Amino acid sequence: MWRERLDKNMKILVVDDFSTMRRIVRNLLVELGFSNPLIQEADDGESAIAMLRSLPFDLVVTDWNMPNMTGIDLLRAIRAEGALKGLPVLMVTAENNRDQIIAAAQAGVNGYIVKPFTAITLKEKLTKIFERIAASGASA
Amino acid sequence: MNIISPLAIDDTLPAELRDLLNSPDGPAFEQALDVMVRQREQRLFRALGQLARDLHNAVRRLGGDLAQDGLPGSVADARQHLQDALEMSAQAAHRSLDFAERMRPQAESLAHNAGEVLEWTNGNDAAAVLAREAVEFAGNCRDGLADMVLAQSWQDLTGQRIKKVASFIGTVESSLLELVRLTGALAGSEAPASVEKVSSQDDADRLLSEFGF
Repeated sequence: MWRERLDKNMKILVVDDFSTMRRIVRNLLVELGFSNPLIQEADDGESAIAMLRSLPFDLVVTDWNMPNMTGIDLLRAIRAEGALKGLPVLMVTAENNRDQIIAAAQAGVNGYIVKPFTAITLKEKLTKIFERIAASGASA
Repeated sequence: MNIISPLAIDDTLPAELRDLLNSPDGPAFEQALDVMVRQREQRLFRALGQLARDLHNAVRRLGGDLAQDGLPGSVADARQHLQDALEMSAQAAHRSLDFAERMRPQAESLAHNAGEVLEWTNGNDAAAVLAREAVEFAGNCRDGLADMVLAQSWQDLTGQRIKKVASFIGTVESSLLELVRLTGALAGSEAPASVEKVSSQDDADRLLSEFGF
């Protein structure tokens, strides 16, 4: 079971086909105080879903445009899989495209950030995601 | 209420058309109209025929150029150049990130050590002044490094565009070769088996040689 509150010992999976972007997201997360060794990386949706099935994670930060399996397909795969379906997913994309945002929302994304973004924006989004999760948990 | 305006048979119409519109003879009117329409159609067909010949010649010339200058080679080169640009910019971004990751702990340790010095010095002695300066400097370093890390996002943003252009060039290359294949077929050579996707330089060369390019 994933953590329902934002905490520094979260296990985070960063998914992006560009190694530079994975490193930047990792840097930003470390800057926010998350533990570097608990952050792992995958270079597309396919390898991400395989890692999610075999290792415990508390949060996924994924890019949209990737070969093999895109971020939106990864999100749909997570939501369709019993053991993973409640896992918080933050989408990070280069395109501020209305249709994409709607598609992501309909697929059940927890947050959406447009690149490039600062550590402060990342923190705001993460805080909001876990506030909402806590609120829905409390009302359930 | 609709007002039906009379036909504007005025001086701006060609004489031929004016006479026709004024003619009381029904069959003659239709016949004359047919002749005019046919004349127009023939002009259109001639223009289309000319266009088709021009296109055909242009593609044949292109085929000749392909054989002479090895355009598919240049296209492959162009794709390779884009790939190189992508890799070099990634390398440069990684070097900046290496630097940031190396400096951040140093800035943190400077801030920590200076903070400890400030705990046992007070007032305005040299050590305290230096320690305060060090704390400020370490803070500026941290902020600057964070900005530098963030600035490397351009590599991802430009890289995505480069990838799109490279894939577009691939599409253009396939379409170009398909056009050459079709023109070869139209020119009377026997059409080779359709090449769905030209995947390698060898495929491209083989296809072109089938048409003597």
